[in-house]
Amino acid sequence: MAKKPSISTKTKSAPVVLTPRDKKTLSNITQLADGVVKAAAARRDPYVDIPSRTLANVHYSARKRILEMGNGKNRRQLFDLSQAKAYMRTMLVGSGCKKLIDQGKSTSLRGLFYMLKHTIEGSKENTFDEQGECDTIIEDVEVLLDSIREELHLYAENRGAMVGAITFTDKGDEINCARMGSGGYAIPSICEPDVIEFDPKKCKAKFILHVEKGTVWQRFNEDRFWEKHNCILTHGSGQPPRGVRRMLYRLHNELKLPLYCVLDNDPWGYYIYSVIKQGSINLAFESQRMAIPEAKYLGLRSIDYDRCELSDSVKIALNDTDRKRAKQVAKYPWFEKKAPWQREIKKMLDNDFKLEVESLISKDISYVTEVYVPERLEAQDWLD
Amino acid sequence: MEDDEVETKATTNGAPKRRSSAKEMAAKQKEISVSEFFAKNRHLLGFDNPRKALLTTVKEAVDNSLDACEEAGILPEIWVHIEQTAESKYKVGIQDNGPGIVKKQIPLIFGKLLYGSKFHRLRQSRGQQGIGISAAGMYGVQTTGKPVKIISRISAKQPAHYYEIQIDTKKNEPRILNGGGDGVDIPPGDKGAAAIQKHGIEWIDQPHGTRVTIELEAKFVRGRGSVGEYLQQTAIANPHVTLHYLDPEQYQYDYERSTDKLPPEPKEIKPHPYGVELGRLAAMLEESDSQSISEFLKTKFSRVTGPISQKLCKDASISARANIHKLSRADAEKLYAAIQKTKIAPPATDCICPIGEELILKGLHQVVPGEFYAAATRPPAVYRGNPFVIEVGLAYGGTAPTQNITKELLTELLEETDARTVRQFLINTFNGLGPEAADKIVKTSGLGTRSSPSKLKPKERDKLFEAMKGVNVAEGQSMEVMRYANRVPLQFQQGACAVTQTILGTNWRSYGLSQSRGSLPKGPVSVMVHMASVWVPFTSESKEAIASYPEIQKEIRLGLQAVGRKLGMFLNKRLRAKQQTDRREIFLRYLKEVSTAVSDINGAERAALYDQLVKVAKKVTADADVKLDDRGRKIKTDELDLGENVLIVDPVTHAAAINRVERVEEES
Repeated sequence: MAKKPSISTKTKSAPVVLTPRDKKTLSNITQLADGVVKAAAARRDPYVDIPSRTLANVHYSARKRILEMGNGKNRRQLFDLSQAKAYMRTMLVGSGCKKLIDQGKSTSLRGLFYMLKHTIEGSKENTFDEQGECDTIIEDVEVLLDSIREELHLYAENRGAMVGAITFTDKGDEINCARMGSGGYAIPSICEPDVIEFDPKKCKAKFILHVEKGTVWQRFNEDRFWEKHNCILTHGSGQPPRGVRRMLYRLHNELKLPLYCVLDNDPWGYYIYSVIKQGSINLAFESQRMAIPEAKYLGLRSIDYDRCELSDSVKIALNDTDRKRAKQVAKYPWFEKKAPWQREIKKMLDNDFKLEVESLISKDISYVTEVYVPERLEAQDWLD
Repeated sequence: MEDDEVETKATTNGAPKRRSSAKEMAAKQKEISVSEFFAKNRHLLGFDNPRKALLTTVKEAVDNSLDACEEAGILPEIWVHIEQTAESKYKVGIQDNGPGIVKKQIPLIFGKLLYGSKFHRLRQSRGQQGIGISAAGMYGVQTTGKPVKIISRISAKQPAHYYEIQIDTKKNEPRILNGGGDGVDIPPGDKGAAAIQKHGIEWIDQPHGTRVTIELEAKFVRGRGSVGEYLQQTAIANPHVTLHYLDPEQYQYDYERSTDKLPPEPKEIKPHPYGVELGRLAAMLEESDSQSISEFLKTKFSRVTGPISQKLCKDASISARANIHKLSRADAEKLYAAIQKTKIAPPATDCICPIGEELILKGLHQVVPGEFYAAATRPPAVYRGNPFVIEVGLAYGGTAPTQNITKELLTELLEETDARTVRQFLINTFNGLGPEAADKIVKTSGLGTRSSPSKLKPKERDKLFEAMKGVNVAEGQSMEVMRYANRVPLQFQQGACAVTQTILGTNWRSYGLSQSRGSLPKGPVSVMVHMASVWVPFTSESKEAIASYPEIQKEIRLGLQAVGRKLGMFLNKRLRAKQQTDRREIFLRYLKEVSTAVSDINGAERAALYDQLVKVAKKVTADADVKLDDRGRKIKTDELDLGENVLIVDPVTHAAAINRVERVEEES
């Protein structure tokens, strides 16, 4: 408590320089607030129209081969019992972001959650009880202001890692991804050009291999796969966060590196591939900056159980949600018209079991790095 | 013969030797006087324990006083005074402003069991047998040795009579102790006042009335089954009565009458044939003067007309002109069977005097704190040939007694209680406080579950007091049931009573109260059920529970449903109003946050923005009041149409919601 005033005096003493992007974001936030004042003065019910982040408002652009957000909007009114709280939270997030921009600082999603969390005067109710509640509102504000998280001075926890034959600068520091030891370079949640700068001359890698989980990534890193095959090796701790997706997008587009994915053979793995390739429903507004339609699906395939002669013990039976999910995935427009994908999904349903990448270890510890992936790459055997 | 046989058998078989012969035994067999019987079986009359003895004494005296006043057409005013004379001895004085009792009747009424005017009449009255007050006197004499003292005056100009009486249990006869066995006459006027002083008689000067003073072994309690509860309930069901009660701790309670109208005088009726059992019929045949059977049927019973008596005789194959004294037992049986088979008009019901819906509301409102009152008087009905009327009153809401209490009173209550735990103390002392609510109070107060109420330290008392004020007991509180028979409160054997059983069997959930299966509904509700009848069927002699005849239960159920429906409408409306307020509150709660956030962003004037938003909120929620329903029709504005006999009061300004002891002191 005692420290608080000293911090505020500090910020006062050092005036913050706003970037043009900051100025644009600030004016957007101010417009939002002005709308409330105007409505109140006119005795009208204040509202905001938030572009809808639902499946119904997302369409697949066959031309661009990415998911795009439609024009559908959800009206959020202050004087509606079911929306009043969400409306209040939207304004809170707006004011929190303004504070961050004014002070030239950024914070984590959790940090903003704590910044805005307090007990509402005259009640025992909290503005936010869980971080999840705050995170969805932040996403709302992103689409509402047409500003991405980075522009709101927010970042998520770092997740995902990379190693490989590439050197770039991160906030001025040179990062040599070939010298990252066993841990790898932690992919930051903000991978914008003003933070991370690539130099095509310093990239020797020929492709990117993205794996699903850190454990599999460890295997590849320990076997120095990227060295042998001259590539970049990444993982996204399951569903890749925005930072990882943005990093992959930029590597793919700016350095012209093809992307291959090694994911589990289950509906979840298919979905991760789908998000990397086409974008997610929830973040459809960011597809343009993140989706990589050229990404290839290397494995694991439903045919791998037979093809690699795996033992019975590695099978994991599908459950009802898996089956349901698989059928949903099969219906996605970008999978629907691709016969190989339909065969792939049908085969998994016929198998009635799923396979994790780690199951290949039952053959040999380094089977996946020394046999499986090189063979697939050699044979150009992948799904698109 | 039989004796001989047994004797021979006994000796030959080596069976036990006979201890006594029939002749010897006959010498010991003698008549038992009623007084003696009751002296040994006093629990039958409600003198089981000292606590109940005190209540029964007050109750019998008050009931008698009320009956006497009403019969004479006097608005009753009654004084009850209880005073502690020794460790477990109390002196009870009950005075009324009744007509008084003529000199020669006084000893008989108070000193002879089963002497009275009510037993032989079929008429709605409080007491029925004439055992009560003399039994109380007998109990007093037995436990303290002190005689019963009676003073009675029949008019301002005539002398009052003062008696000190003991009941002779052997002979069932009064023994007058004072005035050389003849009582003392007290002249009217100032001379009388001096005489009253001289004899040490307690008497509140009245032109006419009776005061009986009994000293007895007793125990004074508060709460459930107490004298206070009885008098309070009596005041509810008898809004024409003024009651003054001074308890042993010098707390004065005054229940003022809320109406000046006496209940109409009940008519005496002849028994209805359906209500007469075979034995009674035989007895009536024997006791009546010599007359023809058809004449007997026509004159001794209600609703028996000429044609019906002819039909009865024909069905029983007895000549209508036969003399009743010539009838055999078999004939009586045939006649009884004929009565059961014949359709006879139900008895006249104008002999019943219900309290009336309006007066029930007044009575409840005067005594029970609440915000909603409803009453229903059912049309007369008949069970076993006895006409009866069921009345139901309901009071809802108000502050719980635990929240009404002052700290001083709590301290005293804590000192005098015999409850072993605080929890028990709470349940016993406060009407309608359920175990759940008591647990909640104990938990909030932070006292140990086993702490003894009388040994609490001042700080612990403070904590308990705070907890009682703070805990909303309405949640765990269950319905308080007040049962009445002919305006007399029934305080014991709740479970055995038709009223309780019917209340338990009614689905109160549909009226907006919560109720678990097989238990009383929850909430700050009081229900009174009154059965008025020429003959109330009790389950036992102590007159505590009404017997469950299907006809009676049906009427009770219909009455409960009538008030229940009204309560349901009231609660429903209140719930809707509350939801509306909640809506507004939710908006208002968020408006501050919104205006703060907005002013943080664009520097708008926070307070002004808030005021503007509040105005919009009010406008919006007002609009919502006339929202359309699912089918697009305008929802009707909820004008509450509850019909008649409903009373809704603002609970905050309700006089009875304030601590009652204080209120009374202000008034008096």
